[in-house]
Amino acid sequence: MIRRNRWSWFVSLAVLATGLVLLAAACGGGGKKAATTTTAAASGTQQKTFPNFRIVYDTGTDYLDPGLSYTVEGWEAMWNVYLSLLGYKHVNGPDGATIVPALAQALPQVSADGLTYTMTLRPGLKYSDGTPVKASDFKYAIKRDFLIDSPGVGFFTNIVGADEFSKTKKGDISGITTDDATGKITVKLVKPQGDFQNILATIFAAPVPPDTPAKDQSTTPIPSTGPYQIQSYTPNRQFTLVRNPNFKPTADVPATNPDKMSFKIVEDDSAALQQVINGQADYDFHPIPVDRLADVQQKYGDQLKIYTPANTYYYFMNNRLPPFDKLAVRKAVNYAIDRNALVRLYGGLATPTENILPPTYPQYQKHTLYPHDLAKAKQLIEAAGVKGQTVEVWGSDRETSRKPVEYLADVLNQIGFKTKIKIIDAAVYWTTVGNQATKAQIGFADWFQDYPHPLDWFDVLLNGDRITQTHNNNYSNFDSKAVNTKIAALKQKNKLDATVNNEWKQLDKQVMQQAAWAPYVNRQFTDFFGKTIDTGCYINHVLYQFDFSRICMK
Amino acid sequence: MWAPSGLRMATKQQTTREATSELSLDTASLLAQEEHDVSIAGRSPWYLAWRRLRRNYAALVSLVVFLLIVVACFSAPLYAKHVAHTDASTNHLTEQVKVGGTLKDVISPGGTFTDPKTGEVRVRPVNILGPTWWQAHGKFVLGADTNGRDVAVRLLYGGINSLTVGIASAMICVLFAVILALIAGYYGGWADWVITRFFDIVWAFPVILLSIALGSALAINGFHHFGINLEGDSLWIPTLVISYVLIPYVGRPLRGQILSLREKEFVEASISQGASSIRVMFTEILPNIASSAFVFFALIIANNILLEAALSFLGAGIQDPKPSWGKLIADGQTRITTAPWLTLVPGIAIVVTAVSLNIFGDGLRDALDPRSKVRIEH
Repeated sequence: MIRRNRWSWFVSLAVLATGLVLLAAACGGGGKKAATTTTAAASGTQQKTFPNFRIVYDTGTDYLDPGLSYTVEGWEAMWNVYLSLLGYKHVNGPDGATIVPALAQALPQVSADGLTYTMTLRPGLKYSDGTPVKASDFKYAIKRDFLIDSPGVGFFTNIVGADEFSKTKKGDISGITTDDATGKITVKLVKPQGDFQNILATIFAAPVPPDTPAKDQSTTPIPSTGPYQIQSYTPNRQFTLVRNPNFKPTADVPATNPDKMSFKIVEDDSAALQQVINGQADYDFHPIPVDRLADVQQKYGDQLKIYTPANTYYYFMNNRLPPFDKLAVRKAVNYAIDRNALVRLYGGLATPTENILPPTYPQYQKHTLYPHDLAKAKQLIEAAGVKGQTVEVWGSDRETSRKPVEYLADVLNQIGFKTKIKIIDAAVYWTTVGNQATKAQIGFADWFQDYPHPLDWFDVLLNGDRITQTHNNNYSNFDSKAVNTKIAALKQKNKLDATVNNEWKQLDKQVMQQAAWAPYVNRQFTDFFGKTIDTGCYINHVLYQFDFSRICMK
Repeated sequence: MWAPSGLRMATKQQTTREATSELSLDTASLLAQEEHDVSIAGRSPWYLAWRRLRRNYAALVSLVVFLLIVVACFSAPLYAKHVAHTDASTNHLTEQVKVGGTLKDVISPGGTFTDPKTGEVRVRPVNILGPTWWQAHGKFVLGADTNGRDVAVRLLYGGINSLTVGIASAMICVLFAVILALIAGYYGGWADWVITRFFDIVWAFPVILLSIALGSALAINGFHHFGINLEGDSLWIPTLVISYVLIPYVGRPLRGQILSLREKEFVEASISQGASSIRVMFTEILPNIASSAFVFFALIIANNILLEAALSFLGAGIQDPKPSWGKLIADGQTRITTAPWLTLVPGIAIVVTAVSLNIFGDGLRDALDPRSKVRIEH
């Protein structure tokens, strides 16, 4: 390590000042360009700070509470706000899936039987309000997840005592022991779990102060541990992130560039795009409208990034409710939908699929069980004796949901159903269809990985043992004993070797033979930037997609 | 010698115009002046109204325009089946049509590729079929939407829904407003107090906000109370919401008229002869407010069509997959820079319908009661 003397500081400052003067000169006459400051961050990476990054966001932000949010929009905004004990590398490409310590000093020590995880908090950690972060805050965060019926509770039911706590919501979770003096945290599991480190890296496991109320805190933000804190949130309007004064960067949680991030929530894709083109915003989260893609690519090609996150778009079919309690009906829907037609619905930025797992996974093996065959679908409906039944098709009011729902309703009408479309606000869509009381029969769904492991798909979305009354992620209520047993067995495999991957491939096919869903596309997405943004700093993370915190100005 | 009234009218019109030497748009006062010179003895009020209306060419042209729109819209099923060979909800995403002899995709496949020079992923965007006019034998005359649906067919079906909601809500609104105004104005006392407070409460809310709140809430779960079962996507929901929020705007002025009529000698005479309240209300008072009610009905249709368009645009009116003019504007909004006709055409349909109904409504008001000041204001 090089130790700097006074002279070197003076020289550094002089160079920095000269750099700033040159930068200011370069920016002269350029209108409202933000000042960029380049410094060497503590983590060793180069920090290029600037005052404000203006983001045009969509309406998908469900909550800004780490215990409740379960949308791409919520997590993408909060992964730089609420750190968990573990996290992921802030880098492009597959390396971004590497688990690194975040609030923990190091990766957990796992006992030989795979049942005990031991970690220690980094010393001197403070929340954004100055309160020290304690080991017991981790335990409270998990308990709070159960108390607020978090959609993430299913991740923690394998912890000893969690199942009991989920029923009584009183007492303690005996499997988590903490020592505030030393920062030591020990988690004991009922059964070995191959993805438990990934689960510890989810935002649901982020420590929160012990006095955090066990109810939605989106509009009264919880103090943060990450590089940013939430300054304000007006649902469906805007929210702002500002620097957390108590955050100290590490090699794994690096220093960030924007001093502030202003998220403006705009519903319309065209309006959002126009704001960035006009210079009123720096980044458009929305997909580029289908018929603007050619124009945008031609005129602003260097400001446009196209990427493929791990995702699957599908129609859920509630296996508990007629007519989708019949296998023949679920198969008929799979035969009826034309996946190539649905690709066009997404402007060609998609590839057809009938797999559960996306093609980016090593466990993916393409199967074609349901080639488009409308006549066969009609026959199956006739044979099942459900022709003429009324079916409610659910979707959110976002274009990317409403359009495929309208398509599905048309297809269901063609095969003999009478459909009614239920379109509701995107911000409440998942909690509504995830509530058993809603009795949603069939509808739009999509999934973006929480972590790169097949369990995040099969265990979270298709394990019948994890069906809940509210915040249910298994919208199809798919409950197959054989599949549940297979998931439980594969869950205990610590390594994803060729044999295990092959088993996941077979499970994908097995689930689709029972037509649990009607998957249709894996989508590609666009990130569009204003002309003042330096896309050389662009990081597209394998889980959280565009990393707002590392972007920089030209 | 007695001269035909038409000739005398023309003479009077000429005299008036020559005397004033300026164009007057005050049709009501013009017609009122003309009445002084015309023999009206033995003519029923309805005959006189018709005579005045048929001289108001602007109103008649507007009526014809409105009727043409109605006929065009209600012929949608015929047009869809025999000309466009589709319906309002059918997606044609992967189909092709012959446009002027050339086979074209309704929506082209699109896709992505890697630019060999930069290594960046680039998109091959989809093309959505634009207006074919009549080059595709009536198919996709106004092009396709992003679901590959025929926009012209949706425009006509949308017109049916918009006009149905507009007219039905106007009928329901005026019917309930008349009944409430009759009860409040005739009985007075606590009945009047309760009904006017109801008017005041509804009046206190801005029409559009109250409509959005009710429309949004009912669109999700429908209405299932008092033995009435309406699903969220039923056309009855926007119809009843619009009727409800506008009742005070019709009911209050009518109540005012009835309060005045209640004190007239012919009403007192009828009561003194032992006529029941119902008989007095329906045979003495109702005929005297009928002309105002008709005028309100004509004027409020245009107002309701506009309100329905606003609600559907905001997602609180007619629900998917049913089209309406307001929804078509909302759908076309995302493509406004590349396919402006998607918003312009339904927008023009709304404007022409509303303007024609307003001009006709004004004409009807002038014909039924030239001195009337009936207006829909909120």
